[in-house]
Amino acid sequence: MSDIYIICVEDEAQVLDVVIRDLEQLEEFFPIEGAASASDARKLINEIKEEGNRIGLILCDHIMPGDKGVDLLIEMQKDEFTHSTRKILLTGQAGLDDTIQAVNKARLNQYVSKPWKKEELLQIVIDELTDYVIETEDELLPYLSVLNQEKLQEAIRAKGFI
Amino acid sequence: MPGKSKQKSNQIKFLTGLILGIIGFCLPLFFTFNGLSYAGHIALGIFLMAAVFWMFETIPIYSTSMLVIFLQVVLLSQQGVVFSDASLPTTTAKQHTSDSWLVPAEAVDGEKIYVANDSRNYTAIDVKILNRADWVEIRSNELQSDAKIVSNANHKLVGYKPVSFSLFFGTLASPIIILFLGGFMLAGAAVKYNLDKNLTSVLLKPFGTKPNFIILGLMVVTATLSAFMSNTATTAMMMTVAIPIVAQVAREDKFRIILALCIPIAANIGGMATPIGTPPNAIAIANLGQQGINIEFGTWVVMMLPLVILLLLLAWFTMRFLFPTNLREFKLSLKVDFNKSRPAIILYLLFAATVLLWFTESAHGIPSSMVAFLPIAGLTVTGVMKQEDIRSLPWEVLWLVAGGIALGISMENTGLAMWLVASISWDALPQVVLIGVFGLVALNLSNFLSNTVTATLLIPLAVSMGTSGIAGEGFSLVISSLAIAAACNMAMLLPISTPPNAIAMSTGFIKTPDMVKVGIVIGLIGIVATLALSQLYWPFIIN
Repeated sequence: MSDIYIICVEDEAQVLDVVIRDLEQLEEFFPIEGAASASDARKLINEIKEEGNRIGLILCDHIMPGDKGVDLLIEMQKDEFTHSTRKILLTGQAGLDDTIQAVNKARLNQYVSKPWKKEELLQIVIDELTDYVIETEDELLPYLSVLNQEKLQEAIRAKGFI
Repeated sequence: MPGKSKQKSNQIKFLTGLILGIIGFCLPLFFTFNGLSYAGHIALGIFLMAAVFWMFETIPIYSTSMLVIFLQVVLLSQQGVVFSDASLPTTTAKQHTSDSWLVPAEAVDGEKIYVANDSRNYTAIDVKILNRADWVEIRSNELQSDAKIVSNANHKLVGYKPVSFSLFFGTLASPIIILFLGGFMLAGAAVKYNLDKNLTSVLLKPFGTKPNFIILGLMVVTATLSAFMSNTATTAMMMTVAIPIVAQVAREDKFRIILALCIPIAANIGGMATPIGTPPNAIAIANLGQQGINIEFGTWVVMMLPLVILLLLLAWFTMRFLFPTNLREFKLSLKVDFNKSRPAIILYLLFAATVLLWFTESAHGIPSSMVAFLPIAGLTVTGVMKQEDIRSLPWEVLWLVAGGIALGISMENTGLAMWLVASISWDALPQVVLIGVFGLVALNLSNFLSNTVTATLLIPLAVSMGTSGIAGEGFSLVISSLAIAAACNMAMLLPISTPPNAIAMSTGFIKTPDMVKVGIVIGLIGIVATLALSQLYWPFIIN
């Protein structure tokens, strides 16, 4: 069974640290990797792909040196490997046009504005990962104790088996 | 998520299972067992392979069932490679004196020889052996001078009359499978229109707000639903009811354990209540059906209900004792919102009509599997269940049961089941001890294996002990089969024992020792209670 990664893309090292720390309770089940730019993120995505693992969720800043976050998300949406990855924009400065682009072309799942509260971010990430595992995994039991249990039980009920 | 070491141990388990399974299959090809027919050897090979694959889960358990049917069709059917052009080798007995005959040594089987009626059928006749040499001198007054006798008593057609391949395929459409399919259709539609959730809310209301009564309520509702729906789906649904309650309970309060544990336990127990509750029931009914014994839906319920109620109460008291709580009251937010769309109404009506007809079989005489076709046809004709809904039914469970039934057929008609149980003189034991032994074996196996698989392996043995008479006078097929099915369903010691247990364990609210404590009490007292019922209560119902 392959690992499901969470990747965080953020150019400011301190902010990236905070994001990763806020999510650390998930680390045991979902390895978390950080990237400082879109090009770093592409390298990271390729590495994860080559190791046979998957990316369940990306938390991405928008304004960064080099390619913008929204461009990266659109790219990921078009790529088969990252198509079903849940995409969250974590930003303070994405304009209306960029946000519209992200929603329409990258099928953005969530928009979280900075500054954020730890509990809210964690809940959003947990809910999105829950949707991801329900969509892609056959075996849901390992996630019951860490993700949104009610949603998972609901999925098991609908399937009628585990 | 699992580490490399777990992957490795899985690989070892897979290879062990594969190798043992292949060895098991080949074993009867290289060894000849006395008293077992040629076809019995083939059936033994299939039985051993299936048992190993089912135990190790080398391949998914339903695909083992499919493999069983495939091998039976190829190796044991009249049209398969082994039997398609088989014909009995014959010779003529030589008249020796006025009342004795000479026959080849291989033609004699103990004190019997076989007279061929045609190329495939024979009649066994008893003879008196007078003199053994290359040719055996025998005396018989049944033998006629032009009789063709079978020259090789170990021939593959002796002791087994090949059946048509369609008998093995036909298991998938056997009445009990159709009964299950009807249950699946109702359950699938109930989930689609949230009937299960709404019923839960309605049924939970009378239990009030006191913690212990909420638990009793959860258990009663879970058991009731799981008598008609899959235990797994019921557990998952009831967990969605229990999780908001768990959130109201302090982390260290043991009440969290009860909340998470009471649901899988009640789901396992509730499955016993009706023929469609769990697959082991189907295996029992199918094996009895092959002996011409029909168990009505209502009769099954009447026989099992006391056991179900007893075990539910037992589990409730045990958990209250083991995990006491200080909590006084709870808020339950129970939303009742019955879907009132046209398809939902049709579902309610069909559900009620089907269950009513199932319970009144003795009044109208329509077999429960025929009634089961009412929801199958009714829900599809009216468009309540659509193509994608039908596709999402748990078909693999039907295959699993069908394979189990097919294996049972071959164990019976090749004489394998007889041969397996014949080595011990069972009739020395009283019936209650025999049932107790079967029950304990079933309970132990089923804690580690699928309940269905355990029933598949054990019930044919019990049935053949009854039909062959080696179990002695008064051995009831119905009582022994039901007791084994019940014992299979009482196995809930470990997370791996049943899917509902696995769900409960994965919630993270309970630890294995909690489950083991309650599981031991239910298993042991359950067996004792089953034995008591089998002697004091069941005989009055079936007579």
